[in-house]
Amino acid sequence: MADNPKTVLVVDDDPDARDFLTTVLTDNGFGVTTAKDGNEAIARIEQAKPDLVALDITMPEKSGVAVYRKLKEDDQLKTIPVIIITGVSDDFKRFISTRRQVPPPEGYISKPVDHEQFLSMVTDLLA
Amino acid sequence: MRSEALRLDNLPDFAMENAYYRYFDAMPCYLTVQDRDFRIIDANQRFREDFGETENRFCYQVYKRRSEKCEVCPVERAFWDGHSHRNEERVTCPDGKEVSVLVEATPIRDQSGEIVAVIEMSTDVTQLKSLHKQLRRSQRRYRLLFDEVPCYISIQDPDLCIVEANRAFQEDFGSCLGRKCYEAYKHRTEPCAPCLVQETFEDGEFRTREEVVTSLSGETIHVLVTAAPIRNGQGQIIRVMEMSANITQVRELESRLTSLGLLIGSVSHGLKGMLNGLAGGMYLVDTGFKKDDPQRVRKGWDTVQRNVGRIQSMVSDILYYAKDRIPNWEPLSAIEVAEEVCNLTESRANNHHVQLTTALDPSAGQFEADAQAVRSMLVNLIENSLDACRLDDKKSDHRVTLRLQGLPDHVKFEIEDNGIGMDQETREKAFSLFFSSKGTEGTGLGLFISDRIARSHGGSIDLQSEAGVGTRFIVQLPRKRPLQQEPRDPHPSERETPDGRQSEDRSGSR
Repeated sequence: MADNPKTVLVVDDDPDARDFLTTVLTDNGFGVTTAKDGNEAIARIEQAKPDLVALDITMPEKSGVAVYRKLKEDDQLKTIPVIIITGVSDDFKRFISTRRQVPPPEGYISKPVDHEQFLSMVTDLLA
Repeated sequence: MRSEALRLDNLPDFAMENAYYRYFDAMPCYLTVQDRDFRIIDANQRFREDFGETENRFCYQVYKRRSEKCEVCPVERAFWDGHSHRNEERVTCPDGKEVSVLVEATPIRDQSGEIVAVIEMSTDVTQLKSLHKQLRRSQRRYRLLFDEVPCYISIQDPDLCIVEANRAFQEDFGSCLGRKCYEAYKHRTEPCAPCLVQETFEDGEFRTREEVVTSLSGETIHVLVTAAPIRNGQGQIIRVMEMSANITQVRELESRLTSLGLLIGSVSHGLKGMLNGLAGGMYLVDTGFKKDDPQRVRKGWDTVQRNVGRIQSMVSDILYYAKDRIPNWEPLSAIEVAEEVCNLTESRANNHHVQLTTALDPSAGQFEADAQAVRSMLVNLIENSLDACRLDDKKSDHRVTLRLQGLPDHVKFEIEDNGIGMDQETREKAFSLFFSSKGTEGTGLGLFISDRIARSHGGSIDLQSEAGVGTRFIVQLPRKRPLQQEPRDPHPSERETPDGRQSEDRSGSR
């Protein structure tokens, strides 16, 4: 893992939230890229395919939902596991219930994030 | 009876007298025959039953228990002028019961035409009188109810002319008798379509609808209108009564409740974001200590402080939103307000690595305002600018500038930043309740409340912004409080109605 660390793309509009997850991941040997909105997230994914995406749902510009849809509808990208991270549980339920053709995300964590839970979820998904 | 009367003519005198006596006894009223001294010389059965045997007693003794004749006596007048006289009296029965009677005194003449006696007929009208009284009382009560009921009532004819209106109606819509309903209620020149009253005239049905009307003073009032037919004796609808309950407060409450629901959603969302920030800060502090990395501890601690600050300002926004404050007016020095606001926001600017600069005109002078409200408005705007800088990763140097300038009638505060700026949509919605471009961070309250504070001071906030370049808020506050904010006259003065008459003062204290 040290030679070729797995990379996680952290997508959140709140810089504190990005810093938090970035630090947790780098402390544990993961490579991290960040994006502050949906557009930036898509640009990052197109630049270099990450191994996992930690995705906030409620963001300005392009929402997390649109990023998720793009990921799961693209044959090249749909195998990338996604952990949805959001403070709005209702949004998440609505998001899942209205998108039957899109598979559910691999993980879901609500804010405030428990870093140990987040870390074990990332580790499991990338094992 | 008439046929019997005809036959009476053929009877001998004594038989006829007997027959008349039977009628006399059977009359459904008190009958007495009195001489010139008001002595009762004969009485019918009904009288005897209620007043006992009264031979040789005087009328006034029996009827009124008086020792001498009454001042006004129809019997006396009948003796005097030979005509019949009527009068209304109250008499007392032997059992003490008071009875109202309608008295008719008719002279009886002998064959020479001389008046020998007067027959006095007293009809018991006690029940009738009490019915009259009840009727008058209930009419008064209905009038009172009509006037005092807490809704607007008008009665309209088929041309929608108001023929009657209660007090509440006349107070809020003016003296409008004879005017058209739609003129009084809606300041229109033609009937509304559809018209509730017209529909009720057509089919006689009760109907209810919600309407928005405008009072004399220009106030918009939400009303729940009910139209009810009024029929005449033949069952035809001659009028329609329109009753309008003022439900403005209910509607306002409803919209406040809706906003409250939105607020709770927005707040809990914002709070989760801030708690997440705190969790991140704590993680950094915690692991910083473990790794003996003071820089990481410092960074974590800054994050904790920043998020505590965000929670604090959100709580104060909520408190401000929860209360509709009336400004606590006092003369303020503009430069002092600006300096205080800088002190309050300086450490937060440092945390965000944003340079806070000022350009304050020391001779900007004084203005009238609520100190606390104006301070929180300016702090809100500056914090908004600090956030805009923090979220911008395109530029390396960030700056927020507070400017103060004194104008003849206004003081002008400007807050300018070189942060992320706003696109058109964000600019347009910037002051809307619960709109936030900050995703998880904003509650959508700050700018909404700032705008409300400026308006409540008779001022305004203008916004200039360009995405990627920066934002400038321009706050203008009048030096003098707006007129309607002058201390209220506890007894509002009489106001002119459209027809030029003065309406009554509602407080009734004049």
